[in-house]
Amino acid sequence: MKLTAGLLGCAVLASALAGCGSPTPSEPGTVVIRVQGMPPATDKPGLDGFKKTVADFEQQNPGIKVQGSTSVFDPLTFSAKLAGGKVEEVIKVPLTEPQGLIARKQVRPLTKELSGWAHYKEFNPQVLLPLSDPAGDVYGVPQAPFAQGLVYNRDLFTKAGLDPDKPPKTWDEVRTAAKTISDKTGKAGFVHQSKNNQGGWQLTMLAYTHGGEIEREEGGEYVAAFNADPVKKALTMLKEMRWTDDSMGDAQLNDQNDVIKRFAAGEIGMYMGTPGTYRLAKMTYGMEDTDAFGIGPLPQAGGNASLTGGDVYLVPKSVSPDKAAAAVKWLLFAYAQPQYDPATAASRAKELAADPKSAVGVPTLPMFDAAQQSKIDEAVLPYVNVKLEHFRPWLDGTPALTLRPEPPVQAQQVYAVLDTVVQAVLTNKDASVDDLLAKAETDVNTKLAAARQ
Amino acid sequence: MSAGTRTAPLPAGPAAGATPGLGRDAPRRSLFGRNALTALVFLIPALVVFGVFSWWPIVRGLLISFQQTNLIDPATWVGLENFRALFADPLLGTAIANTLLFVGLALLIGFPAPLVLAVVLSTVRRSAGVYRFLVYLPVVVPPVVAILLWKWFYDPGHGLFNGLLGLVGLGPYLWLDSPDTAMVSLVLQSTWAGMGGAVLIYLAAIVGVPSELYEAAQMDGASIWTRVWHITLPQLRPVIGLLLLMQLINTMQVFTEPYVFTGGGPENATLTVLLLIFRYAFQDGAYGQAAALSFLLAIILGLLSAVYLRATRSWSAA
Repeated sequence: MKLTAGLLGCAVLASALAGCGSPTPSEPGTVVIRVQGMPPATDKPGLDGFKKTVADFEQQNPGIKVQGSTSVFDPLTFSAKLAGGKVEEVIKVPLTEPQGLIARKQVRPLTKELSGWAHYKEFNPQVLLPLSDPAGDVYGVPQAPFAQGLVYNRDLFTKAGLDPDKPPKTWDEVRTAAKTISDKTGKAGFVHQSKNNQGGWQLTMLAYTHGGEIEREEGGEYVAAFNADPVKKALTMLKEMRWTDDSMGDAQLNDQNDVIKRFAAGEIGMYMGTPGTYRLAKMTYGMEDTDAFGIGPLPQAGGNASLTGGDVYLVPKSVSPDKAAAAVKWLLFAYAQPQYDPATAASRAKELAADPKSAVGVPTLPMFDAAQQSKIDEAVLPYVNVKLEHFRPWLDGTPALTLRPEPPVQAQQVYAVLDTVVQAVLTNKDASVDDLLAKAETDVNTKLAAARQ
Repeated sequence: MSAGTRTAPLPAGPAAGATPGLGRDAPRRSLFGRNALTALVFLIPALVVFGVFSWWPIVRGLLISFQQTNLIDPATWVGLENFRALFADPLLGTAIANTLLFVGLALLIGFPAPLVLAVVLSTVRRSAGVYRFLVYLPVVVPPVVAILLWKWFYDPGHGLFNGLLGLVGLGPYLWLDSPDTAMVSLVLQSTWAGMGGAVLIYLAAIVGVPSELYEAAQMDGASIWTRVWHITLPQLRPVIGLLLLMQLINTMQVFTEPYVFTGGGPENATLTVLLLIFRYAFQDGAYGQAAALSFLLAIILGLLSAVYLRATRSWSAA
């Protein structure tokens, strides 16, 4: 009896373990792809729209079945899924990640598959640049390409006596506005992110706007380039805003989620971010007074540049060629076509607009050329439920800026080092910008040298 | 057990050495007899589960520490390269120093706190259950929730602590935002969160101290402090020793607090060994280096565990 029970236990366990690895059954000859990017059940209009897109896609591509996944790229689960051979065929990642994934050869070049699309050559090169390797191979399709800007709280601007239709255009103006907001309202005038590599990421934006750079090529090798006047000026400005003006609030260890959460609660006057953060503020952090959301172009101090941002879709390298081909078809159908074809864009916008909790019409960078984007904008206009005029300064000011990608080599490791620099400036009154940058330069060059080996 | 520790086994009682069937008088059984076969069959599910989910990942981790891999292409053997890269990283020293600082501060602040609280609680006669419940309550709060709550306590601007201290003219303090106070802040939260379990264990042990000892001491005119020092503490020695080792092992693996509170900042002041392993693996994609550091940490923890097992055995036998 005991023996029988034991054997039964083994059998149950064996079948359970076998079940772990078995794929979902499908008809012979059908390619099944699992794709990230499916909206969660709480976003009903988004989910309905996604399901309809899947149904339309499967109808047009009879040999392909699409299984949506609500998960998004998470370095923890991504590594575990890769190791276990369970990663989805399409992954959704923030634009800070593709270069690292490309360098580690964890994602698949898609140039060959993408170039089969009739409008491939019409892609805006600026939005493909962050998804490309130095040889020019393209690895994915962007969902909603953005350029970083200056997000600001229009209510706090009004309360502080500032003009909410004229956001600061230079960093000097930002400093003045931040101090005014802080003095008049008691809220943080400007907040800079500082942890989880996002301090380094935002310092990169500051560096670009001051005419600086993070890495430069020297004799065929990349070295740290931030220990120079532009970044020194940028950090000195942050230090003065923090300690002389006291206009950056008290809590300084923030990442993007912390900042947007506090902004949604009306606690922050300005931060560097994309129009896409509107969705996060409204749909994730429940910002009630969304009319207070305003965005202008990234302020400048001689650099005349901004950093790109947004989410992109990539295909892991472990995916088989037939599934990769199917994944590219899906990406073009679901994300590129609606940005190219006005009728598709209008139909998607109409479905989304059915729910007042959705955010329809948040402006993006043109995925193709400006003329095509105008047609798209016109088609979706009847369904737009965000105050477009509050995005107008960003829309008007961004085209004048050069869009620059992330540092090309070991960006995350470089950001980790620069996090420390930003944290020191924001938490230590006596921090020396020169000393911090000199040490960071040594550390980054050590990491870049190690990466070359 | 307190800082960073949320579970600990109850100390083995005197009967632990007399498990039926394992003592000297237990009937001898053949390794290949029917009973052994039955036992083996029952063991197979557990062995498979341990093998697949524990032992194989450990072996795999050890192998990866000598390899370079992106988890897709075949891994290449790189000998001791990962260890060389590890020792060349200036952050390794910082992470080790920070971890030891956390362990030390947890010993200083977190270790005596539950003992003192247990001694005090043991003297409470009315509503003792309520106090015990209140002390244990933080243990049932999910760690991340507790940390987010404390993040607000520590907020330098509108936080609870600065608000309260401000009432008596102290502060404001930067708490997590200063490299000088960030680690102490983590230890305080960690002590609060993990203290409940240790208090209950100490209370159970205090109840086991023969009451005649206290009565005799009282008749001799011993003060409360003398009774605690000369009776309670010596009687609790085995439990204190066990919890001390458990705490050492647990605090050396501190991760959640620095990860959620500070991300290792400010200026790497709260970067711990486990957080560094996390960064190597999941931010840098340097799986080999992460595995190498995990391997080194495992050796240290293994040594501590060996001490723990040895101590458990000797104290149980005592």
